[in-house]
Amino acid sequence: MPEERNDEVLLRVEHLCQYFRSGKYENKAVDDVSFDIKKGEVFGLVGESGCGKTTTGRSIIKIYDITSGSVYFKGQRVTAGTRSYRDAIKEAKQRIGDEIKALKANGADDAQIAAKKAELAEIIAKNKAEIASAKHDSKYSDRDYAATLVAQVKAEYEEKMKNASPEELPALKKKFRHDLNVAKKTKLITKIQMIFQDPVASLNPRMTVKELIAEGLVINGIKDKQYIEEKVYEILELVGLVREHAGRYPHEFSGGQKQRIGIARSVIMRPDMIIADEPISALDVSIQAQVINLLNELRDTLGLTILFIAHDLSVVKYFSDRIGVMYHGKMVELASSEELFAHPLHPYTKSLLSAIPLPDPHHEKQRQRITYNPAAVHDYSENKPSTRELKPGHFVYCNDAEEEAYRKELGL
Amino acid sequence: MDKILEVKNLKISFRTQGGTLKAVRDISFDLERGETLAIVGESGSGKSVTSKAILGILAGNSIVEGGEILFDGKDLLKVPEEDMQQIRGDKIAMIFQDPLSALNRIVKVGPQITEAMLLKNKAARKSSRKEFNAILALLKENMIAVFGKEAEGKINEMISTFDKFNVEAIRLEEDYNVAYNRAEELNADIVEFRFLVEKKQKVNIKDGLNDISKKLKQIKNGFLTVGKDEQIAALAADVASAAKAYNEKTNNDLTAVDATLETIASLLKGLIESTRPNFFRIGYYSMKNPGVNLTETPVEQLNETTLKYLDDNFMKEFIQMETAGVKHSFDNSVEAKKAVLALLPEIRAYFAAGNLDKKSAKEQVKKAADAVNASIDRLDTNKDSTAYTFASALESAVAKYFKAVVNNPKEEARFERQSKKREALIAKGKTVDWKVVPKVVYDLDDLIGNIVKIIDTLQKKYEADVANAANVDMNARAIALIDYLKAKASQVVYKLTKRMAKEQAIKLMDEVGIDEPRIRFNQYPFEFSGGMRQRIVIAIALSANPDILICDEPTTALDVTIQAQILELINRLKRERNLTVIFITHDLGVVANIADKIAVMYAGKIVEYGTADDVFYDPRHPYTWALLSSMPDLDTNEKLDAIPGTPPNMIYPPVGDAFADRNKYALKIDFEMQPPQFEVTPSHWAATWLLHPDAPKAEPPHIITDRIERMKKKNGGNENA
Repeated sequence: MPEERNDEVLLRVEHLCQYFRSGKYENKAVDDVSFDIKKGEVFGLVGESGCGKTTTGRSIIKIYDITSGSVYFKGQRVTAGTRSYRDAIKEAKQRIGDEIKALKANGADDAQIAAKKAELAEIIAKNKAEIASAKHDSKYSDRDYAATLVAQVKAEYEEKMKNASPEELPALKKKFRHDLNVAKKTKLITKIQMIFQDPVASLNPRMTVKELIAEGLVINGIKDKQYIEEKVYEILELVGLVREHAGRYPHEFSGGQKQRIGIARSVIMRPDMIIADEPISALDVSIQAQVINLLNELRDTLGLTILFIAHDLSVVKYFSDRIGVMYHGKMVELASSEELFAHPLHPYTKSLLSAIPLPDPHHEKQRQRITYNPAAVHDYSENKPSTRELKPGHFVYCNDAEEEAYRKELGL
Repeated sequence: MDKILEVKNLKISFRTQGGTLKAVRDISFDLERGETLAIVGESGSGKSVTSKAILGILAGNSIVEGGEILFDGKDLLKVPEEDMQQIRGDKIAMIFQDPLSALNRIVKVGPQITEAMLLKNKAARKSSRKEFNAILALLKENMIAVFGKEAEGKINEMISTFDKFNVEAIRLEEDYNVAYNRAEELNADIVEFRFLVEKKQKVNIKDGLNDISKKLKQIKNGFLTVGKDEQIAALAADVASAAKAYNEKTNNDLTAVDATLETIASLLKGLIESTRPNFFRIGYYSMKNPGVNLTETPVEQLNETTLKYLDDNFMKEFIQMETAGVKHSFDNSVEAKKAVLALLPEIRAYFAAGNLDKKSAKEQVKKAADAVNASIDRLDTNKDSTAYTFASALESAVAKYFKAVVNNPKEEARFERQSKKREALIAKGKTVDWKVVPKVVYDLDDLIGNIVKIIDTLQKKYEADVANAANVDMNARAIALIDYLKAKASQVVYKLTKRMAKEQAIKLMDEVGIDEPRIRFNQYPFEFSGGMRQRIVIAIALSANPDILICDEPTTALDVTIQAQILELINRLKRERNLTVIFITHDLGVVANIADKIAVMYAGKIVEYGTADDVFYDPRHPYTWALLSSMPDLDTNEKLDAIPGTPPNMIYPPVGDAFADRNKYALKIDFEMQPPQFEVTPSHWAATWLLHPDAPKAEPPHIITDRIERMKKKNGGNENA
């Protein structure tokens, strides 16, 4: 029901690049990826292992410092990289230096050279300002968010305390201090939570389920034990466990239950968005369905937005509204899930779709898998590719010639 | 098609702190050569335990409660560990779920592939020497028994001649093999050197050429390089001078060297493919005529003349006497078998009567075991597995009986004590949050039945043997024995060097689809992607050329495209090598492509069994329905039918159908009685009461019926098109 949802963009990723240094080389895990996630939708991210889908998720939630690009959450920039600006400065210095040299050789007058120098200085100043702003946003977005919350709390209680009777005042003051403390410690980024692939590895075996689930609240400055307990019980029931489970340790649970605990841990923070990084890959088929149904329910009851990272295409198709296909750090195709499966354009998407196993022996025995060989399919030697919107909402990474071919394929 | 593996009534449980966990409860299936059986089920359904039982790698706390796994005439549950080692990895190989944990991370992949080949070769050499000596000694004994004491001197001489000329043959063959292996290795070296130079890899050309020259000079053997020594020396000199002239810094023209290398390669190839001298014959000739230069005659002619010489002077007579010896051994064995047959009814009656006494039972076992051991014809190269394994099988069956005799009353007492305690607590009005661990009591009659069955099997086999005794061709047996000795002798000298193993490994890596295996050979597992790692594991499994390949969730850790590639690879290898595959997975989706037959397992039992078409197009068991409907396909839109709850605790297996608790189609009888196997078609059965004629009609969930409808429509469309 996409038309019922509003079109408010919750998360915007712009030109996200995440490079890792390994020895002399730089590994471009994510390279210039842009997408929006609207409020209340499930955005699926697929691709083979090593294509950068997990890195994208982790970069968004600030587990890594991103190399360049920006991530906006609720309109606020939460993290930004500086590489692109530094490269711009370097490139400008080189280019204008060469131009000045050429001018000097041609015997141009000082005014022309001065104009060039001024141009360079302007570019440098502009990019330096960008760098400063990016650094500030990356570092202080949480503090700024906390500051606004603190201001809100202060304003709220100022009013209340003015009107309060003297006997109410001590209790109110105590409550005020508590709320203030919570506001100070709240981070914007905790409004995005993550569910990890391996339920066993993501839970500390020495903590009880209650401690595990309450951990986020405790870190957030909440000290009221009774409140925490109530919250934990509430969440346990929400994810389909029972109160009695709170005192147990993770090893006493089955794989599906462990994954429910992982989900409870992220949901208790009342996030607006959840990044689910292959939450069902490590589970049995029957349990997978339970977890997917649970995520679907939570999405309805809590109004969650979900970034769903997986490699199982049939599950992604079933669960997501829109799907982005990644290959070697690039987003090669992005479309609504029906559109993507009905009209796959990029050869990699086609090869991916042809590899889906189906529970149909006759079909399986005739299946022809399409192999994707980028060197053979694409000729990017002259015309460089970029991400283009071929149809409203259907983006493909291609160059001019391919765009034309794809348009023909779509019948546009 | 012939059955290669039969699993019959297999029952396995595990001792745990909480009690005995029934992991596999009475499953049976057959496997035919070249067919793929997929075992599908949730974790904990016993599918991996079954495969581990086949390989004999069950955990230490496992108890095999009963059943048989028949492979190659042996019961894999009863063979001793030594024999199992001959089968495991060699005849039956396994691919594990996580490729990285199956590989050694700090050893390059090459050595990991060659490791098993080299070890197997080493072990074969060692054991061959031992067996050769043992059989020869036995033969001597039998021959003396036939021809009497007076012929002893002659027999001794003959046997020692046979031994000696075999030793001579081995010596000659070893020399030949050294040179031959060097030629083979150098050939591989040159191929690799030229490959690396061509691919502009990092190679030290000067050292490489020097190495080739040095190795070429070392290839020298009277039989192998006869008449070619000069040419080899000249070529070696050529290469050496080219190495000398080579300068790193200047641009060198390597075409001349390359041509020389080409010549060397073709020369070596000629050597490798030349007729192999028959050292068995030459050994005798050379022993009798020391100092004669044999290398002057061409190999083919030499093979002929020495054969005649051997036959005339030694072999004919030897074979005659040997045949007599073999016959003697055989006759003895038949007599002993008759004695065993006379003895068996008494022993059978003793055991069948039950109520055994430990001491007398032990005596009976010893009596039977001794008699049977004495009745084995040790000179028969075709080993009779029933007789060979009789003693150990009987012993363990009897031991099991006495263990049960001791443990049963203890278990009963414990159970009674705990039940009383529990009841007392409940009577006091306390809440009791523990259950009484059920008693593990073995039925003594069953155990007696097992013992009697072992005796009966032997009796049947021996009766057949005795009845057939007159038809056995002694000459064929004698020849087989000599062939066997010859094979053992040449196994002793067949040395697989690391270099040769490397070539075999590279061939194998190429076969499983790894590009540029020569470069990949020297990389560590972490340098491979997940799919490539799994290919390495498959290459290791194939290195011993197994008959059965067990794949335990080989694609679960891999993503879709790689999964499809690995499945295609397994399918291709299966066709090319006529492999039999057992494919274990929890994902029904992946097996549609690969499986011929599918067994759906739940709580240690097979609940549905049929061909892939049966299970996918006409599923009958509610658990199969649940599995199928809990996975979305590309056209699924509605809410998924998740299976509620978790599998039952198998320490307390449910009385009725194990799936009843989670089954919305469960009938009342499902909670009370285990359903038998209802046949749907001859190739398809399911264990569910829903198939009983009196059961109410139950339709599978519409998510499945719709899908099957769609699939049929689609396939029908395809066929028409």
